[in-house]
Amino acid sequence: MPTKIQIQNLRKVYDTPERKVHALENVNIDIQDGEFICLVGLSGCGKTTLLNILAGFVEITHGDVYMDGKPITEDYDKGVVFQEYALFPWLTAVQNVEYGMKIRNVPPDERKRIAMEFLRLVRLEEFADLFPHSLSGGMRQRVAVARALAFDPQVLLMDEPFGALDAQTREELQDLTVDVWQKTKKTVIYVTHNLAEAVFLGNRVVVFIPNPGRIREILTIDFPRPRDALAPEFIKTQRRINELIRDWK
Amino acid sequence: MAEAQAGPPPLNLDAPHKTPYVSIWMRIRPVYPFLLVIFIWQITAWFLHDLMGDLFPYFGSILFRGWELITGPLVKAMGVDVDTGFLTQLYAIIFKNPLGFIDQLKYLSDSPLLWHTLSTAWRLPFSFMIASVIGVTVGIMMGRFAFWEGFFVPLLSVLLPIPALAWTPIAVIWFGNGDQTVILVTAFASFLPIAMAVWTGVKTINPVWIRAAQSMNADKMTIFRTVVLPGSLPMILSGMRIGLARAWRAGVGAEAFAGIRWGLSAGIFDAQEYLDTAFMMVAIAVLGIFGYLLEKVLFQPIETRTIIKWGMMEEMGGQDKKV
Repeated sequence: MPTKIQIQNLRKVYDTPERKVHALENVNIDIQDGEFICLVGLSGCGKTTLLNILAGFVEITHGDVYMDGKPITEDYDKGVVFQEYALFPWLTAVQNVEYGMKIRNVPPDERKRIAMEFLRLVRLEEFADLFPHSLSGGMRQRVAVARALAFDPQVLLMDEPFGALDAQTREELQDLTVDVWQKTKKTVIYVTHNLAEAVFLGNRVVVFIPNPGRIREILTIDFPRPRDALAPEFIKTQRRINELIRDWK
Repeated sequence: MAEAQAGPPPLNLDAPHKTPYVSIWMRIRPVYPFLLVIFIWQITAWFLHDLMGDLFPYFGSILFRGWELITGPLVKAMGVDVDTGFLTQLYAIIFKNPLGFIDQLKYLSDSPLLWHTLSTAWRLPFSFMIASVIGVTVGIMMGRFAFWEGFFVPLLSVLLPIPALAWTPIAVIWFGNGDQTVILVTAFASFLPIAMAVWTGVKTINPVWIRAAQSMNADKMTIFRTVVLPGSLPMILSGMRIGLARAWRAGVGAEAFAGIRWGLSAGIFDAQEYLDTAFMMVAIAVLGIFGYLLEKVLFQPIETRTIIKWGMMEEMGGQDKKV
């Protein structure tokens, strides 16, 4: 598989008037095309910073990020799903999904058709014309996933997208995410602090440790899918990651 | 063989909705405070009648004054004595009317109350419109460009607490007596809170919406048009509400001082000279009704179609439905 994203010697220092925060140090990852990669770690370990760098929200202090061998530009095509509900409340579900295509000047009929296709993918086509406030939390995040994918981005960046949902809804959406990923074959970078979620979803799990944020280890998870979250080896992997996160000097 | 136990009746979710039953008591509930106040008014008027006479008129006198202010010219033109009672006049207008329909309309359109109301009714919304256009523009400039923010915030913060009425004498000296002064003072008074509210709305918009739009590569102008504007609409509308309230207050004051003849509050101050309390009460009632309608006609439809539909604001009185 070709390398999609190459992160080399990445360093990030937030330079605020009060103090400097060393958020990331010497981060190196090669992300394959079509890979599902999870970033885990305690809060303050830089995983969200890395995602924000990939999303173009945060500038790099030092180091390089390559996309398909070329340095990334701010406006490459990426879909982002946020932890908070980031849907536009003044647009219906389908209009939200159309937003990215509208910016790319896709003609209205075409964009409506594609938007409905992606709403079907997240099983929400019946709710297309509802405004976000009348959707449940889980449904909103499904619309957000559809919105992030609809303009066919090169990568999908997800920042604890299901963190605010209840356990049942979260599991349901994890299944859905795997399903969507398998159907669309996107490269997914997924930030979570939920280890079970990381092991359930990822091809690889990148374990971060804080002060400064850096990579402790990258684990390959090769359990066949669909995965059983209660299998002994699954739990063993989870425990191993937990140790990696906590026991470091 | 035993019959199968009857289950619940078949479910039909498409059946027409039942309109909930609203008792008569619930329907008249908003009216009863008024009835109570009128009752107390009547008793007070009765006690004070010997002392104050028409300076504290009975409720009926106020109603009759209102009637007179509307139909006065018509009744006079028909040759009926204006001092006759309401029923006599009504009877005369309906059954003994020598005038044709067009003439009747002509005399009705001469009614002083109509002219007072119309004068206030165009001046106020007109000033408010000017204030809204300038206020929203300035507010957006403040929210978008640091330079204009630095320029306007200190100025507006100082100007905002000054009651607009305080400016009126200066405005009269500078711009003379007349509509222009009233319009300027009113517009200025309502521009300030609108600009401040729009600025706050633009500044406090949920940053995750901006990021979402950025992540889809929307440029700055597109983000402004498709995210900042609709996203700050709740604040813009509430700023305009405050603006309207202030315009209303300033307008009423300015009308009185700017030496104009027509206008509800100009009329009120005029009536003070003639001790015509009933007229003042009628004009005050019209001011109240007019302000209420302006709010209903102007804001409610916009809000229902936008921020309430989007769930960005609860409907007025919506707290009943929760619990």
